[in-house]
Amino acid sequence: MKMTWLQGAHLAGGRPGGVGWIYNPFLLLVFRLVLAAVFIYAAVHKIGRPLAFADEIHTYGVVDYGPPLYVMAIALPWLELLCGLSLVTGVFVRGSALVLLGLNALFLVVIARKTAGFMHIGTPFMKVYFDCGCGFGATFAWKKLLEDALYLILAAVLMAAPLHRFTIRFRRRSS
Amino acid sequence: MKMLKNAMLQAIVILAAALVLGFTFNALSRNRINPFKNPAKVPVAVSSSQAAVEGIKIITLEEARQAVESGVPVIDARRKAEYDEGHIPKAMLLDYYDMGTYKDRVLAHLSDDQTIMVYCSEVSCEDSELLANELYSLGFTKLLVFKGGFAEWSAAGLPVERSAQ
Repeated sequence: MKMTWLQGAHLAGGRPGGVGWIYNPFLLLVFRLVLAAVFIYAAVHKIGRPLAFADEIHTYGVVDYGPPLYVMAIALPWLELLCGLSLVTGVFVRGSALVLLGLNALFLVVIARKTAGFMHIGTPFMKVYFDCGCGFGATFAWKKLLEDALYLILAAVLMAAPLHRFTIRFRRRSS
Repeated sequence: MKMLKNAMLQAIVILAAALVLGFTFNALSRNRINPFKNPAKVPVAVSSSQAAVEGIKIITLEEARQAVESGVPVIDARRKAEYDEGHIPKAMLLDYYDMGTYKDRVLAHLSDDQTIMVYCSEVSCEDSELLANELYSLGFTKLLVFKGGFAEWSAAGLPVERSAQ
């Protein structure tokens, strides 16, 4: 039976080809804690100030003022917090990795779009500097894009990794 | 495939939990908003000219300084204790969380065709925007919100007034 790389990674205990080391349980735990720290910190900064956060989202020019924007401002910080807590506790690791994968992909797109806006009015790429509303204050866009790309990769690894030593598994009881 | 299905199911559970927690917290929070009533439906002016302000306009420190110097009435949306410690000169106290105490007294000094500036503590506080929305619904349609608030004002070394204790 021919297996895909991903299936192979799981069945072989996380040693597909030459990158199996990335599935080392301790390394995966570090990845989880790094992502958790970032997203819990970002969430705590946003929870309880929905109007200001809605203004920050609005500056990206993607969603106009209206219920979708406010629902996002209310729920997004909690989504980040729950994903962070899930990564710390080891419950629903793949689910939260999937959510973070989606969120980081979205953040990359909107930050790149905003950066392109600055470049359009003549700011050199390396000098584009703004507060992304992520909870970490103003920073250079290239730095933020790199960070988000790193988080995206970490989330993708956690998503594809086999359930390792420090995760909590839920199994259906067979009768 | 099963792995992806499991991940998606878990993601849906997390999303649903985030919505429930977010809305519950919002309902209990003092900064709550009604997302379906569109709290910022008020038009936001884009012109930097005060004369053109119609709706709520977020202004910078420099614009706030100009507004104060040109005699625009200023409202401080913070708590009385913060106001007493220091406020923008001639600002009137209208604690957003104690509107009943101050509203009539403050509004008596204002007419609804005037441009009014509102501020609170700092850039992250929302009380100035919430109060501006409240004032808008009361018929005051020319509102300036100084987002930097008292923190930015005092950090810039601009004049500060203190209440007599």
